[in-house]
Amino acid sequence: MSSNAPVAALLRDPAHQVSSRAPGIWALGAVVRSVLLAAAAVAAHFIWDLDLAWWVWVAYVLVATAYCVLMPIYRYRVHRWESTATAVYTQRGWLSRERRIAPMSRVQTVDLDQTAVMRLFGLASVTVTTASAAGPLKIEDLDREVAEHLVEELTRRTEAEAGDAT
Amino acid sequence: MSELERDADWRRLDLRMLLVHPVNELIRFLPLLIGIFVLGSGDEGSPWRFLGVAIPIAIGVVRFLSTRFRITSGQIELRRGLLGRSVLTAPIDRVRTVELTASPIHRVLRLEKVEIGTGSASRTGDGRVVLDSLGTGEAHRLRQDLLHRASGAEAADVPAGTPPVPAAAEETVIVRLDPSWVRYAPLTTSGLVIALAALAASSQFLGDLAVSALDSTHLDEDVEALPLAVTIPAGILSFLVVISVLSIIGYLLGNWGFTLTRNQQGRTYHVRRGALTTRETSIDLDRLRGVEVYEPLGLRLAGGGRLNAIVTGLDRGARGRAPMVPAAPRAVVLGVGEAVVAERAALHGPLVQHGPAAQRRRLIRGVVPLALVPALALLAVLLDDLPAWWLLVTLPLPVAGFFLGRDRYARLGHTLTPSYVVVRWGSLRGRRDVLQRTGIIGWNIQQSWFQRRAGLVSLTATTAAGEQSYEIMDLEEAVAVSLAATAVPGLVEQFLA
Repeated sequence: MSSNAPVAALLRDPAHQVSSRAPGIWALGAVVRSVLLAAAAVAAHFIWDLDLAWWVWVAYVLVATAYCVLMPIYRYRVHRWESTATAVYTQRGWLSRERRIAPMSRVQTVDLDQTAVMRLFGLASVTVTTASAAGPLKIEDLDREVAEHLVEELTRRTEAEAGDAT
Repeated sequence: MSELERDADWRRLDLRMLLVHPVNELIRFLPLLIGIFVLGSGDEGSPWRFLGVAIPIAIGVVRFLSTRFRITSGQIELRRGLLGRSVLTAPIDRVRTVELTASPIHRVLRLEKVEIGTGSASRTGDGRVVLDSLGTGEAHRLRQDLLHRASGAEAADVPAGTPPVPAAAEETVIVRLDPSWVRYAPLTTSGLVIALAALAASSQFLGDLAVSALDSTHLDEDVEALPLAVTIPAGILSFLVVISVLSIIGYLLGNWGFTLTRNQQGRTYHVRRGALTTRETSIDLDRLRGVEVYEPLGLRLAGGGRLNAIVTGLDRGARGRAPMVPAAPRAVVLGVGEAVVAERAALHGPLVQHGPAAQRRRLIRGVVPLALVPALALLAVLLDDLPAWWLLVTLPLPVAGFFLGRDRYARLGHTLTPSYVVVRWGSLRGRRDVLQRTGIIGWNIQQSWFQRRAGLVSLTATTAAGEQSYEIMDLEEAVAVSLAATAVPGLVEQFLA
């Protein structure tokens, strides 16, 4: 509506960071993926006689190490979340970034999930869905207590809202 | 009260459905049956061959006996299963759409298949209420009941027991198929798909016919004798003719008798269409979240377009879309769109362009991938003795990419009207999406690495209807934020820097 003056501002980052243990689990995942890829190359060597030049291996080790070290650090700075009385706001990504905002009145389900590895780290993820198939907001790798508290708070707030949220 | 009492009783499907299902099952089992009766005729008197007929009929009988439904004041309930019982319950005020379908067999027997779309059903997928089949009269009455009760306030105005008015009497026609629109059919893909499906169904038969026809003539040898300069254009031409004829047939099969009507009280739209199988979709106005104008390149150059409604509660297969105008002249499409969204600016109004950075991105993305082809060809010519004419053939690609990118930028734009967010995008598959602002249930703001360097973002409005998300690409970040804040007040403001 024209009465609303155009907002000449950018969005700020969401207020909270994810758990400080999150980069650890991301690094672990990155290491596992890098090793698996290398193992696949070694397996290919034995099965199909695929021979990679020595410098390919050197380059791979450099890139993989950089990935395992830098990605978690960088991602930790990007992944943030915030929940207010009227909305949920998340930011995730690494090279490309995505911010999602959903009004509390349109939230349909709030899920908490934990993989086995996440339990070892004491972490949990919260997924907030709306009636849109394109709408889920995922907050990965929160401290378990923080996640539980968030789920409880979101559930309480969405219960207070009426309507079918479409 | 009498109606409520009647409704509280469990109702069955129409008895005539007993005839539909065996016929349908027989058609499905036809190859098997042919096998049984033709091939199995050697060992006569085998009881197995009767099983092939008995099973489909038995399936039909079981389905009839085991399916019941009832409408109580607030719920529609569907009971299925003879031994294992399953009861599906959906609140009536969640009914979004009612679709009546009648295959040729249904039509001979004056039956309709009723599909009721509810919001929750659309999320879980298989929870849709399907009644196959009811008598035509009863199906129409049921639709009337459901849609009237669904739109709350009106149900109170209609005294119980009022004989239902025939649906057609109180409806105004918004658009009706003009047979001359068939000229747009070759420029659409949907007609082609329908025609190909029909062709595939009969392909085995036709294929055999074509092969035997070829065998009996010397056509293949005659063709081989022709010079390449004749056969290639002739081949392309006959391909185009076949495609055109197929898509015209498909267009007519799918859209024959297409009529879009609006209920006098203005609460629902009805779409009727189909030559052999008729389809009637009813859309509750409260479930309409906007329209999509399709302007793919070919159709756009010919001055045509298509219109779809963005609706919540249609099944996942239809992806929440209901055709409102098939391929038709642009003026008709925009006129209907305007009537549906009740706002002129949403369909005709000027759009805000996205600026030089967005333009650069469109051009780069148009040219670079296509420029790789002649670049690779050049490499191959230099290294690998590829004939040099390859370079000549691939050289027009990046030029086409440039024009594509230019067109994509020229069309890219958005605007905000009092009740809608409007975005126009694409070239080959051009669209103009008009989405109700109140239908927006969230925002996604994506930024790829390249977009971040260009200071651009893509703003996506999520919704429970249609495609579930509508993207406005390559906006300056400040423009995107202000658009999101203005379109849905009270949401984004709290997160501003």
